[in-house]
Amino acid sequence: MSRDVIVQQILNGISLGGVYALEAVGFGIVFNILKFSNFSHGGVVTICAYFGFFISTRFIPSLWGSLAVTILFGGVIGILVEKLVFRPIRIQNKPLTYFFVNSITVAMIVQQFFSALWGSNYYPFPAFIKETVFQLGKLVVSKSYLLMLSMSAAVLIALSLFLRRTKTGIAIRAASSDIHTPALMGVNTDFIVSITFCIAGILAGVTGFFLGMTYTVTPFIGSMILKGIIASIIGGMGSLGGGVIAGVLLGAMESLLIAEVGASITPIIIYFAIIILLMVRPQGIAGKLYSVKA
Amino acid sequence: MLEVKNLIVKYGGITAIQGISLSIPRRQIVAMVGANGAGKSTTINAISGMVRKTSGDIVYEGKSLPTRPHEVSRMGIVQVPEGRKIFPTISVEENLILGAYVVKDPLVLKQNLERVYSLFPVLKARRRQGGGTLSGGEQQMLAFGRALMSNPNILLLDEPSLGLAPKLIIEIFQFIEKLKQEGLTILLVEQNATKALSIADYAYVLETGRIVAEGSGKELLANPIIRKAYLGCLDDPE
Ligand SMILES: Nc1ncnc2c1ncn2[C@@H]1O[C@H](COP(=O)(O)OP(=O)(O)O)[C@@H](O)[C@H]1O
Ligand SMILES: [Mg+2]
Repeated sequence: MSRDVIVQQILNGISLGGVYALEAVGFGIVFNILKFSNFSHGGVVTICAYFGFFISTRFIPSLWGSLAVTILFGGVIGILVEKLVFRPIRIQNKPLTYFFVNSITVAMIVQQFFSALWGSNYYPFPAFIKETVFQLGKLVVSKSYLLMLSMSAAVLIALSLFLRRTKTGIAIRAASSDIHTPALMGVNTDFIVSITFCIAGILAGVTGFFLGMTYTVTPFIGSMILKGIIASIIGGMGSLGGGVIAGVLLGAMESLLIAEVGASITPIIIYFAIIILLMVRPQGIAGKLYSVKA
Repeated sequence: MLEVKNLIVKYGGITAIQGISLSIPRRQIVAMVGANGAGKSTTINAISGMVRKTSGDIVYEGKSLPTRPHEVSRMGIVQVPEGRKIFPTISVEENLILGAYVVKDPLVLKQNLERVYSLFPVLKARRRQGGGTLSGGEQQMLAFGRALMSNPNILLLDEPSLGLAPKLIIEIFQFIEKLKQEGLTILLVEQNATKALSIADYAYVLETGRIVAEGSGKELLANPIIRKAYLGCLDDPE
């Protein structure tokens, strides 16, 4: 395989990795404050993918317009999922297992719902970008991959600024180590949890849209967040930055391996590598060890 | 004036506070002393809204306090919790900024930050460090600083001397007296009873959820029964 092809594969991989990074952060930010593995994130991704398809084919044909509306929609869905599914058990101080079970239930309901309704068809997004590739020296760069990469980076940078520069962001980070004490500073804990799910929902909106654009929309598109969850774990639970790095690395490694050894062996190699990594470094790339996990 | 009236708090079946009443007049230091498990933190947390009261009333300037903790804090009644509860993963300065969460005006926030830094210069020197990297004494300063960031009227201090070196304990108690002189109202909860009573205008002795003695700090310190039973002293008053 020529060097250019390899470089190109890595470039594509990094772009996909950007989406894994979005998934890892969307999954990780909820884990950080409520300490449970939120599998409903995949459900929200699926809802957003269908929504993105629907809105772009029926109402807003422009890429930016439909992406923006899908992002807003994702944020609203995130808030609703928290209010309807997680807040009631949080107010009753239920154990983490309840959160975990509810989150899986949401993911299953969403999957079954779309399977029953539109499961027999594939829904391709419109081709937003006419010329899909351009030439960069010897490299052939896919415009939609480049778009994914730059949008993922932009969203993650914006989030990082929000978490660092605003009081609400600081409160979210403080709540990651202790969710009760910020209330003593006048922080409304319910609001912080709500905002956190809203952020996760926004990230799910971007993820769902890009996954829908890259592949086609199916009821199982949300289960693709498994890669993001893996990235979040190998990045280190509790470290959003670690999740981003792991997501990008995972994407690059995956694309490279697919090109080198084929699509069927790649997952086996990757999963083995993850098991070995977690044996050597159970806290992940940048994370701390957590004992509470559900 | 903050008043606690017939407060009862239960944890499940266990009654931790069995009907106590306190009053905390403006610009005074009121101490609450008692052994570990007496219910001191529970009382403070009931005032702060961190635990739900089973019955009773908490009245601030004639009106019942709200029951949710962020609303209580927004009334200017701010707790410095037991064990400081510094946020370890955000910086010292971010801990302080969070203390001013309800301060809308960025200029006021900046002024308050400068004031805290002039009170505790070590916090300024460490402002970019993670809160978790501070020593126990520095964390207590940060906990005080964080509480002062919102310009509170009443401070609820839960065992501020816990785990500190003797020299630091003296400084902390001096600092609490200074806060009183600046016009703050203080409820001071301590196991270090002798020290707390010596700076208190009025004090309550708590035992298994009941008030068993009350009086001015001096009176309690001079009372031989109290000294023997609650202050662990067999000697004469200093
Ligand atoms: N969250 C809780 N759940 C159940 N019991 C509690 C809880 N917090 C405190 N208690 C009990 O209430 C009593 C008073 O505790 P606390 O207010 O912490 O005392 P103090 O602060 O005086 O040491 C103790 O018997 C303690 O075991
Ligand atoms: Mg206590």
